[in-house]
Amino acid sequence: MTGARLARVAGGGAAPGTAHAGAAPVTWVRLVRLYAAGRRVPVAVLAMAACAAGLRIALLWHWDAYGALQLPLIFETAAAASVVATTADPFGEPERVAGRWLPFLRLAATAALTAAAIALLVAAGTGGHLAGGTLDVLRNVAGITGIGLLCAAALGAGLSWTVPTGYLIVAVYALYTQWHPPALSTPWLWPARPPHDLGGGLCAALAFAAGLAVITVRGARQRAGEAD
Amino acid sequence: MTAATRVSSATPRRPGADRPGLSTLRLLRLELRHNAMAWLLPVVFVLFWLVTYRKTMAMPPLWNVRAAGLQVGVAADFSVPVTGAAAWMGSREARRRVTDQVTITARSRWARLLVAWAATAIWAMLAYLGCLAVLYGVTAHQATWGGPLWWPAAVAAASVLVFCALGFVVGAFLPSRFTAPLVAIAVFFVLALSTEPIHGGHSVFQVSPIVTGPWDLGAQPGVATFYPFQPDLSVAQVMFLAGLSVALLGVLALPAGSAGRAMRAVAAGCAIAGLLAAGTAVGLTGTGTMDAAGMIDIPALHDAATGRPLEFTPVCSRTVIPVCLNPAYATYLPATASALAPLLSELAGLPGAPARIDQEPVAYKQGADNSVAFLLHEPAVSGTPPAFGLVLPVQLGYPAMTAAQQANQVVTTYGPDLVADVIGDGHGATQAQNAVATGLMIAAGLRRLDTYYVPSAQPASARPLPATPGGPDPGRSPGVAPGTPAYDAAERFAALPPAARHAWLVRNLAALRAGRLTLAQLP
Repeated sequence: MTGARLARVAGGGAAPGTAHAGAAPVTWVRLVRLYAAGRRVPVAVLAMAACAAGLRIALLWHWDAYGALQLPLIFETAAAASVVATTADPFGEPERVAGRWLPFLRLAATAALTAAAIALLVAAGTGGHLAGGTLDVLRNVAGITGIGLLCAAALGAGLSWTVPTGYLIVAVYALYTQWHPPALSTPWLWPARPPHDLGGGLCAALAFAAGLAVITVRGARQRAGEAD
Repeated sequence: MTAATRVSSATPRRPGADRPGLSTLRLLRLELRHNAMAWLLPVVFVLFWLVTYRKTMAMPPLWNVRAAGLQVGVAADFSVPVTGAAAWMGSREARRRVTDQVTITARSRWARLLVAWAATAIWAMLAYLGCLAVLYGVTAHQATWGGPLWWPAAVAAASVLVFCALGFVVGAFLPSRFTAPLVAIAVFFVLALSTEPIHGGHSVFQVSPIVTGPWDLGAQPGVATFYPFQPDLSVAQVMFLAGLSVALLGVLALPAGSAGRAMRAVAAGCAIAGLLAAGTAVGLTGTGTMDAAGMIDIPALHDAATGRPLEFTPVCSRTVIPVCLNPAYATYLPATASALAPLLSELAGLPGAPARIDQEPVAYKQGADNSVAFLLHEPAVSGTPPAFGLVLPVQLGYPAMTAAQQANQVVTTYGPDLVADVIGDGHGATQAQNAVATGLMIAAGLRRLDTYYVPSAQPASARPLPATPGGPDPGRSPGVAPGTPAYDAAERFAALPPAARHAWLVRNLAALRAGRLTLAQLP
C-alpha cells in the first residue's frame, strides 16, 4: 500500500483533522485497521488459517513416527513465518517519524498474530493425534516467531524467513537424531525436546521475548524498495 | 544521405546492442551481484555442515554410503534456502514495483526472468559444488578403494536446479511477502514427507531425490562394494528433476506479453517436453525392483553388463590363516585379523581347516511392505582351496561401531561356527566333539557359551536361531555347561600347552570327527 493510498483511505473524504476532532475510539480503530492493512495482516491470518487447515487434513493421514513428529513443526514454522512477514514496513522513514503509536501497534499486532497462530494450530489439532499437544505448539510457534522477529530486525522483514526456515531443517534433523544418535539435545533446539522440558521452554520464551522487544522498539530493518 | 538516415546514424547506440551475447553476460553479471542467494550462502553452508557433513562423515568411508548421504543431505539442506531465495528473486519486479518500467526494455520478460533465474541457480550450484568438493575430497582421502559416484551427485545437482526453478516460478506468478517463506516450507514439506507413501520397490514415489535405494534399507555399507553401483534410480531421478525444471522455466513464458509468439511457442514446447520427461521418469520408477545386490533395477534403464560382480584384489592379513577382505573394507582388516588370530592359530594346519577367511557379500531380498531381508550363507569351510566366508557387521547396516567392536562381533559370531566346522561339532555330535570345540574356544579366549549370533540377520538356510535375539546359541554343544564332565574335559583340553593340543588334534581329529572318541580318551 502506498503512502498516497493510505492518505486517501485515512482521509475518507472528510475534511483534514475531522477524524481527530471526532470520537477517539473511531480514530483508534481506523489506525489499527490501516496498520493491519499496510502490514498485510489479513493475508497473514489467511495464511495461518491455511496452515491450520493443512495440519488438520494432514493429521487425518496415518504417519509413521518421523512424520508424526515432524509434521506439526513444519506447519508451526509456516505460521510463524507468516507472523514475521507482517513486520515489513511499507512506508519507511515518514511513518517512523510521524507514527508515535507505532511501537505499540507493532507489539500488539505481533503478539495478537502469534496468539492467533497458536490458537488456530491448537484448534486444528484438537481431536487429532497432534504429537506434543498444545504445549508443543505454544513453545514452537512462539520460539520460531521470536527467531524470525530477531532476523527481521537484523536483515529486514523481507529476508526474515531465512533463519526460521533454516532452523526448521535443523530442528527436523534434531528430531531425527532422537532415533539415530548422537542426538542433538541442546535446549536451543527446543522442537526436539519433550513438551514439558523446562530448558527448551525457557529458550523458546527467551527467543520470543527478545524478538518481540526488538521488533517493538526498533521495528524491522528498513531496506529500500523491498516492501510489497 | 537523407535526413532520416542522418538522424538514425546520430542516435547513440546502446552498449552491446550489436553483440547480444555480451549484453546478456552483462545482465547476468548484474543479476549475480544483486542476488539474494549470495546472501543465503552462509545459511546453506551452516545447514550442510550441521545436518549433512557431520552425519555423513560419521559413516564408514565407503563411496556408496557417502554419495547417498550427500544426495539426501543436499536435497534436504538446499530445499528451503534455494527455493526461498529463488521465490524472492522471482517476485522482485512486482515487489519493487518496477514491472511497468522493465516492460519497455529491449529484452522480453521471459529472457529477463531466465537471466535472474540463472544467476540464482549459479549461486546455488556454486554452493553445492563447494559442499560436494569438500565431502568427496575428504572421502577420497579416507576411502581405501573405489571412486566417486557421480550419479547421486548429479541427482543432488538436479534437485538444486529444480528447487530454484520452482521457487522462481511461484515467486514470479504470486509475488508477495509471504511467497518466499511459504513456498520454501511447502517444498520442504513435500520433500520430507514424499517417502511416506513408499511401499515396496515398485513405488513411483522413489523418484523423490531423497531416496537413494530401497526405502527403509537406507545407505547400506554392504551395497555397491561387491557389485557395481546401479544408476537406474538415479537416472530416473535426474530425468524427472530435469524435466520438471525445464517445464517450470517454460511456464514462465506462457503469460501474454512475456515473449514473442515464436518464443512462447518454443517455451510451451519446452514445458510439454519437460512434463513428458518427468512423467516418463515417474512411470519408469514404478517399474523398478530391488535386486539381490540391494539396488533398484529399472528394466528400461538397466544395463545387464553392470550386474556382474566387481573384480578386485582382496587385502589379506599375515595371520597363519589369512583373513581377506574386500579392499573397500580395508580399514577393518587389522582389528578383524587381530581378533581372529588366536583362534586361527589353534586351527591352522589341522585337516579340514580353511586355507583362508574370505569376506562375502550380503544378498538382499525385498520383504513385505518396505522390509528388506539380509540373506547370509551358512558359515562353512568350502571350496578349493578351502575357505571360510564371513560378513562384517558393517555390511549389515549396524549402527556405527569402532573397528574393534566390529572385530569382536565377527569373532563371537563366526568363531564357534569355524571351530564347529573343523571339529565336526553341532547337532548329533559326540560329547568329545563338544568338549574339544569348547576347549578350543576357551583356549582362544572365547568362552563357548558366551558366543552370539548376529541378532537381525536372516540366515539363508534353516539353521536354528537363538531363542532370544543376541542370546546364546542353543544349537551348539548343548551338553557342555559348567560343572558337567564335558566341560571339565574342555577345560583340561584348553589347559594343555598349545603345541601339545595341536599335536593331539593332528593325530586324532579324523577319529574325533568320525565320533569314535569318548570323553575319557581326551587328554
